[in-house]
Formats: sequence, C-alpha cells, structure tokens
Amino acid sequence: MATIDQAFAGLRRLPSSHHRHSPKSHHHLRRPTHIVAARSSPKLSGRPLRVAVIGGGPAGGAAAETLAKGGVETFLIERKLDNAKPCGGAIPLCMVGEFDLPLDIIDRRVTKMKMISPSNVAVDIGQTLKPHEYIGMVRREVLDAYLRERASSAGATVINGLFLKMDLPPPQDPSAPYTLHYNLYDGSASGTKQSLSVDAVIGADGANSRVAKSIDAGDYEYAIAFQERIKIPKSKMAYYENLAEMYVGDDVSPDFYGWVFPKCDHVAVGTGTVTHKGDIKKFQAATRNRAKEKIEGGRIIRVEAHPIPEHPRPRRVAGRVALVGDAAGYVTKCSGEGIYFAAKSGRMCAEAVVEGSEGGRRMVEEGDFRGYLEKWDKTYWPTYKVLDVLQKVFYRSNPAREAFVEMCADEYVQKMTFDSYLYKTVVPGNPLEDLKLAVNTIGSLVRANALKREMDKITL
Amino acid sequence: MSMALFSPPHLPSTLSSSRPNYSSPLKLSLLPLHLSKRNLVLLPTKAVNVGEEVTNSAVKVEEKKLDEKDEKEELGVGSEGVKFGDPRWVGGTWDLKQFVKGGSTDWDAVIDAEARRRKWLIDNPESSSNDDPVVFDTSIIPWWSWVKRFHLPEAELLNGRAAMVGFFMAYFVDSLTGVGLVDQMGNFFCKTLLFVAVLGVLLIRKNEDIDTLKKLFEETTFYDKQWQATWQDENASSPKD
Repeated sequence: MATIDQAFAGLRRLPSSHHRHSPKSHHHLRRPTHIVAARSSPKLSGRPLRVAVIGGGPAGGAAAETLAKGGVETFLIERKLDNAKPCGGAIPLCMVGEFDLPLDIIDRRVTKMKMISPSNVAVDIGQTLKPHEYIGMVRREVLDAYLRERASSAGATVINGLFLKMDLPPPQDPSAPYTLHYNLYDGSASGTKQSLSVDAVIGADGANSRVAKSIDAGDYEYAIAFQERIKIPKSKMAYYENLAEMYVGDDVSPDFYGWVFPKCDHVAVGTGTVTHKGDIKKFQAATRNRAKEKIEGGRIIRVEAHPIPEHPRPRRVAGRVALVGDAAGYVTKCSGEGIYFAAKSGRMCAEAVVEGSEGGRRMVEEGDFRGYLEKWDKTYWPTYKVLDVLQKVFYRSNPAREAFVEMCADEYVQKMTFDSYLYKTVVPGNPLEDLKLAVNTIGSLVRANALKREMDKITL
Repeated sequence: MSMALFSPPHLPSTLSSSRPNYSSPLKLSLLPLHLSKRNLVLLPTKAVNVGEEVTNSAVKVEEKKLDEKDEKEELGVGSEGVKFGDPRWVGGTWDLKQFVKGGSTDWDAVIDAEARRRKWLIDNPESSSNDDPVVFDTSIIPWWSWVKRFHLPEAELLNGRAAMVGFFMAYFVDSLTGVGLVDQMGNFFCKTLLFVAVLGVLLIRKNEDIDTLKKLFEETTFYDKQWQATWQDENASSPKD
C-alpha cells in the first residue's frame, strides 16, 4: 500500500549518521576474500549454472528475468499463476522506467492524496506534482503475470507448482546441489510430486516463505493489513478518479493508517496494525466509518488480509540460498511499500549471481550473495531508516498525527515527499527550508500535545 | 491470536486444504482470502461483535446488511453518525467573533473549546466530509497565548529548581575548593557544571523522565539492530569459511 508519507524532509540527512552502525562497516574486512573466492570457484563443464526462483511475484519475476538474460538456466516455481495478491498495488514512477513497464498495466494514475487527521482536518497533497508525474495503481495479477511472461520469454522455465521443501547439501560436500521438492500442477487433481536439482536458490515466496524456513532464516515482526474491495456508485467513484485517501487516528489504527485507494473499477478500503492485531475488525469498521459519506451505497466485493513484514529476517542469505522481497522482509515502515523494493531486490540478487558466475559459467558461492546483501543495505538502509523514524514520531499518538497532517500541508514537504517517493532518490533539500520546516513541525507538535494535556483534564 | 477472526472454521474445505500447514507465527497471516459471498456475510457479523461500542453507526450498517442477506449489501445506508455540535463551531471552525471578551479574542477559551471537541471526537470518531470540511487550524492561535497558558506555570517551578541546584552547587564547589562564587564564573569547569544543571532541569522534570529518555534511546536503535542481525550472523559464522 505504498503511499507517500515519507514526508519529513528535514530528517532526510539523518541516516548518514547511522552509517556508522550500518552493515557495510563489517564488510570492508571481508571483501577481498570474496573476490578471490569467486574467481577460484570451479568452472562448470557442459552445462550452465542452474538457479531456482521460488515465487512468481514481482521479486521472483524480476529475478528470473535477470538470471535468464544473464545466461543462467532458470526455473521459476509459482503455485498460482492467476494469483491476485491482496495488495494496495501502488508503484512509484521510477519503477515504470527502471522495469520498462508498459503503460497499459497501470489502471489508475493517482495525482492527489488526501490526508485526514483524527479531528478530520483534511490536507490535499500532490499540488506540487508536475503534469507527467503520478503514482501508478496496478492490479497484482496483471503486474505479476507480465513480469513472469517477460522472464519466460527471456528463457526462464516457468513451473506451475507448489514448492514443498528442499534438501540442503550435506555438510561434508557443501558444493553439492540443492534438491527441491515440489508439487507440479499438471492438470491432475492433486498434482504430481516432482524434484529438481539446482546450484542456487532465490527465495521470493513472500511472508510465509518456505525457503526462509528451510534455511532457518528466523522470523520477523509483521503487521496485518486488512482490506475490503468495495464497489461504489459511479457518482461516488468519480471522486476517487485519481485520488487516494489516508486516514490517521487511534480509531483507525494505533500504529499505521487507514486507506481508500482507487482500483480499476472499485475502491480498496483498509487498515493495518502490528500491535493490536486482534482488533483489526474494529479498526476496519472505524476506517469505513470515517470514509462513510464517500463510499455510501457501496457493495463489498471481496475481503482480504495479508501480513506485512516490519523488518528483515535475521538471516537473508545462507549458503547459496538468498531471500528477496517480502520473504526477506523488505517492506518500508510508515508507508508499507513493498512492490518496488521486491522487484528491485530480486533483480539485484540475480545480478550478483550472474556476475559471480560470470554469465552462468562458474559455480556461485555464499560470498556472491553476500555481495547482494551488502549492496542492498548500503543503497536502501537510509530510506528504511527515515521511514522508521517518521513512523515512530508521527504515528505514536493522536496529537502527533495532528501535527503530521499539519506538516503535510506545507508545499515544501509535499514536494520532497513526492520526489523521494516517485524517484527513490535522496535529493538534498534547501537548508533554510529544512530549518523552517523543523521549527514549524516542532510548533505543531507542541500545540497538539498542549491540547492533549488539556483534554486529559476534561471530563465530558 | 487473530487467526480465528480471519479464517473462520466454515471456510470452504477446498480453501483450507490448499493452504499449507505452517508452523511459524506467521501462519496467522493469511494467504489471500477469496471469500465466497456466504463468507462475506459472515465476516462482518464478527465485526459487529468486536466494534460494538466504538462505531455505532457502522453497526447499523452491518445489521442492515445481515437483514437483507442478498446482493444488496450496501454500505452506509440509513446510518446517521452523531456529529459534534456547539453553537460556536460554525462552518468547520471556531467562530472567533463569539469568543470576543473585552474587545479582544479570548484565546484561552478557544483552546478550551478545541480541547473539548478533540476529546469528544476520541469517543465519537466522525466521518470526514467534503461538503462540510474542518478548516480550523491551531496555528491561528497566537504563540504567546500557548506560552502564557502552558509554559508559565511550569516555568515558575523550573526556575525555582534551577536556582536551588545552582546555589547548592556553587556552595559545594566553594566549600571543597575554596574558589568563591565570583571566581567560579570565570572557570571553564564551573561553566560546564552550570550548563549541565540547566539542561538537566529542562530534560528531567519528573522522575519518570529518566525512564522515558532511556526507552526513547532504545526505541531509536531497535530498528538498526533488526537490520544488523544478518551481519552479526556473518560474523559468528566467519571462522567457518
């Protein structure tokens, strides 16, 4: 449900101070050994490197395509080829370019966002957008199928089957292949048991990843996202033509936000939480209540729920197995955005494999996968950290949320927010504007908290 | 904990059989739920039970849906949400003309009124409306009236405390080192002490503040640790390779 609240541009430089703690520091020591190791890895004779990608979402599709193009023999295992994953389906503008997506898979172009505070102050963000800029809304079944199709035409073998488990190489022979067991859906009622031997595995099988389980990758904390697809009358739908809404407040979610996103011919109304999962139905009712006037007369056509990872798994690489996308836990805090990061991590991991195997001619090693991790953390850690800080500062209480919405009314904030969301780059802001913003934000926070103290004294 | 809510036992058996048996805690987290219409009706019933007190209006909606039980599960029909009402709340904002006292706006009363409204909204979340938007902005209340109201009473306490701490520090330094008050002012060490005292008085106003600060620090570094887990793993396993 990517949205655009990575707003507080003043915080943007903050991550640089965290670099000291960031993973890359460990790495300088080990890097030389990796390179030596990769070069000394045995050359494969008579066959290219075989890599299996488990899961055919954006991460799997992107990984498989890159692998196949790079000369690796690629197998992509997906259990349901027409799977419509419950997902907000928002993608940033840069994804369209970077992944060369055709424009017709984008159902809607959102150019306006409304943020609504607990006391119902509504702020329109997006006035600073240039005419060609928008947030794309896609249907996951369309996007996923498209990316898989591209992987397939690049030479990857797409297998419709359910991955069951894999046998790791025995400790005494670490370069032995991995044996994957899966249930091939070949038209028979229960499918056929099959197995497949590969040299490396990329786990792109989402939050319930079985690949993660088989390498003992550990668990992550997750949020539950609940969403209802509601078909609303045409007159009401016109309002949501190119507009998405975000509701914040303790009634809607104690630690996330409620949303109304336009889909192809209906809206998706939902909310999420980490801390109070048992109350999700209550939050959903509250979200519907807050949007009531605008969705009145609507009919629920589907109800769905899904886990959203809160942070990466403790292990993302083990041997020649790597995790990408949701399986690894690459979803941002605050906005809950994951599609772009999934596709990007899939591609980055695959690139590391192609490079390490010199185009599929050599065996890969754990070091090659570590290279992907190192690059990933270096590139995206600042983004994740900023969003984590934003979530902690602005989603913690109603007064903070009021201040957040007030802050978003500022044009400078909107511009920085959209730029960082749409292009995923960190553009340094104007120091004077940053300072002004910091002062205004503190002002908003102080006022809202002062009111809160006053509220505590009153009994109604 | 919430699995019961999400996958009611009456899910069609085909669905449950196609769902693998995970044992991680993530198993709560469902795979996509393709609910049939029958289940759609059942799900909101539970919502009614859970959200009873909080969203009265939503309950009405749901009940209506249950009564109809056919395709016409319409949302929001016939439910009239309770709206906040106050004669001084006009057109989505406080009518400042009604707050005039002795020729000028009584900002204290505006703060009181807004606090009441927000308190009321906590128990009665209102639907947002495009026809009747909320336009009140707390920044129209001038800064001095916030200071007057919220900082001054506390400032008294803080000033008093700072003076006490300062006096006794000066006394101890004098008695231990023999450096008089006037000489202390020129001393770098003593200036630092003064700075620490002021900062301490500002940050630690209550005993709980110490805990709060400690927790805040842990909270800010928690996410860093979660990300670093992968790399700690590598360090632990590095002797192996």
